[in-house]
Amino acid sequence: MKRSSGLALFSSTLALCTAASAPAFAAQPGDPPDGIAKIETVVVIFAENRAFDNLYGHFPGAEGIDKASKESLEQRDRDGSVLSELPPVWDGLTAKGVTPPVTQAMTEHLPNEPFTVNDAKGFNVPLSVATHDLWHRYYQNQMQINGGKNDMFVAWADSGAMPMSNWDASKTDMWAVAQKYVLADHFFMGGFGGSFFNHQWLVCACAPYYPDADKNPAKPSISVTDDSGTALKIADNSPKSARDGIPKFVSDGNLTPDFYAVNTMQPPYQPSGNDPAPGGDPRMADPAKPTTLPPQTEPTIGDMLSLKHVSWAWYSGAWQYSLDHGNHTPTPNFQYHHQPFNYYANYAPGTEARREHLRDAGLGGVSFIQAIDDGALPQVSFYKPQGNLNEHSGYADIQAGDRHIADVVAHLEKSPQWPHMLVVVTYDENGGIWDHVAPPKGDRWGPGTRIPAIIISPFAKHGYVDHTPYDTTSILRLITERFELPVLHGIVVRDKAVAAHGEPPLGDLTGGLDLN
Amino acid sequence: MDVDRIVALVTADGIELTDRRRSAKGDGWSLSFSNGATVEVSDDGSARVSGKGAKAVTRLLDLPAAPRGA
Repeated sequence: MKRSSGLALFSSTLALCTAASAPAFAAQPGDPPDGIAKIETVVVIFAENRAFDNLYGHFPGAEGIDKASKESLEQRDRDGSVLSELPPVWDGLTAKGVTPPVTQAMTEHLPNEPFTVNDAKGFNVPLSVATHDLWHRYYQNQMQINGGKNDMFVAWADSGAMPMSNWDASKTDMWAVAQKYVLADHFFMGGFGGSFFNHQWLVCACAPYYPDADKNPAKPSISVTDDSGTALKIADNSPKSARDGIPKFVSDGNLTPDFYAVNTMQPPYQPSGNDPAPGGDPRMADPAKPTTLPPQTEPTIGDMLSLKHVSWAWYSGAWQYSLDHGNHTPTPNFQYHHQPFNYYANYAPGTEARREHLRDAGLGGVSFIQAIDDGALPQVSFYKPQGNLNEHSGYADIQAGDRHIADVVAHLEKSPQWPHMLVVVTYDENGGIWDHVAPPKGDRWGPGTRIPAIIISPFAKHGYVDHTPYDTTSILRLITERFELPVLHGIVVRDKAVAAHGEPPLGDLTGGLDLN
Repeated sequence: MDVDRIVALVTADGIELTDRRRSAKGDGWSLSFSNGATVEVSDDGSARVSGKGAKAVTRLLDLPAAPRGA
C-alpha cells in the first residue's frame, strides 16, 4: 500500500519527537574537548569517488601504499587464488573521447599490484583526464573488501585492473592544503557502495526504505544475495575468472531483499532523473517509475539542526540551473542522486524548509562562494560541487575538482567567518577503487572503504596527520556534539556495533584540532 | 547492440545503471541510468534512447541523434 503524504509527515514528526526526547549527550570519556563551542561555522565539502590510497597513498606520515605489506597489495581471483597478473581494463583506461586513448590492449599484462596512472614511465595520463568508471555498489564493495583483506577489488569489479589505479597527487592544490592543515588517514566511508547511499549516510546515518517493494514497480530491483546476506548470488553464466570478464549476478538491484535502498534510486521530487508523471505535478518525479524512491521520513541531521534553531543549508552546484534549463553535459552535469535532502518529505516542494535549507550554489559554486565572501554562511553548510567539478571517474577528472575545491577553501580562509570555522573536505565514497587498510567492523551498512578527509580550520593542528578512526558519521558526531543535538539513531547503532566488534570508537574529528 | 555491451559503454562514463528488466512484451530489455536516460534494447540488437539524459547516452553508444522534435 502506498503511504499518503499525510501519514509520511506524521511518521516523520513522530520520529523527530522520539529522537528529541532522547537524552542529549552526557559527558563521557571520549566526549569532545572543552572549547568546541569556539567553532561557530561548520562547512562540509563532499567530493566524489576516491579511495585514500588513490590520491594520498604517498602522503608523508600517512598510512599509505608505502606502508602496506606485499601481501596486502595482491589481488585474488574469484576462486581465491592469487592472480598471476591483473586483467586488462575492459574497454580501455581513458574515458570515451579522450585523445590519445589508453586502450584495453595497452593495459594487458599489468603486474598484480597497484599502478600509478600518471606515472611518466607508465601510462602517463595527466590528472586533467577522465578515466574509466568502476562499479561502486553496495554488495560489490563488501565482496571486494572481503572481510578486511581488500584482496577482491579486481575480482568483483566491472573494469578489470582499474581498481588498482592510483595517482601521484603530490602537485595538486588540495595536497598542499592537506600539508598545511590536517589529513585524516583513517577516515572511512559511512556506508558500503556508492554515492546515493553515502549521501544518505552523510545526512541521515540511515538506509532509505522502499515500503512494500515486492508489490510495486520496483520489485525486479530487489537483489538476490547468497547465504551470507552480504554478497550477491553469482549467476551460473558468470565468468569464473576475473581475467575472463565482468562477473554476472542473479539480481544486482537497488534494494536489499528486505527493501532497503542501497544503490542509486531517483529523488521523488524535481530535479530528478525521472520526469513528472504525465499530467501530474511538475515538481514531482513519476512515482510509478521503478527507480523513483518514495519520499523518506527518517529524521535527518537537518531536522535536528532545525529543532535546535541552528541555521543550516545544503548548497548544490547547478541546482537552480538544472531546474530552469534541464541538465547538460559535460558541464554542469548535475547529479540528481547527489542531493540527499531531495528524497525527504520534510523538504518536499512547497515546504518552507525546502526554501530555507536547499540552496542553489550557482554554476561553478559562484553563489556559495559569494556567501562565503559575504560572511553569510549559516552555522552548518554542506557544499556539493556540480558534476564536472566533483572528481568522479568517467565523467570528471581530478584536476578540475581539486582546483575548484582548493579555490573554495581559499575563499573560506579569507571569509569574515573564518576565525571560528571548521571545514571538512572529504569524498562520498571510494568509487570502486582499492585501498589497503581494513575498514573497522561495524553494522550491516558500513563503514566501507577508506577515503581521504582533510580538516581545515584556524583550530586545526598544522601539518598533522590524524590517525584517529573516523567515518562519514564522524561529521554528524561533530555537528551533533557542537550544537547539542539529539543523536540520530544510526549513529547510536554504529557506535554500538563498532564497540561490539572490539574496535576503537569512531571519532568526532576533534582529534585534528587544538581548541585550547 | 548487445545489452551487456550497452551497459558497459554507458557505465564506463560514470553513468550508473539503475534498472534492468525484460520489456513488457518480452522481446528485449529496458535499461535505466542515473542521468535519467532509458534505453530500450530489442533482442535483435536495435536500441532506442529516451529520457532526460538521452543525448549523453546516445553519444556514448554512437547512435544517430534523434531527429528534432522526436
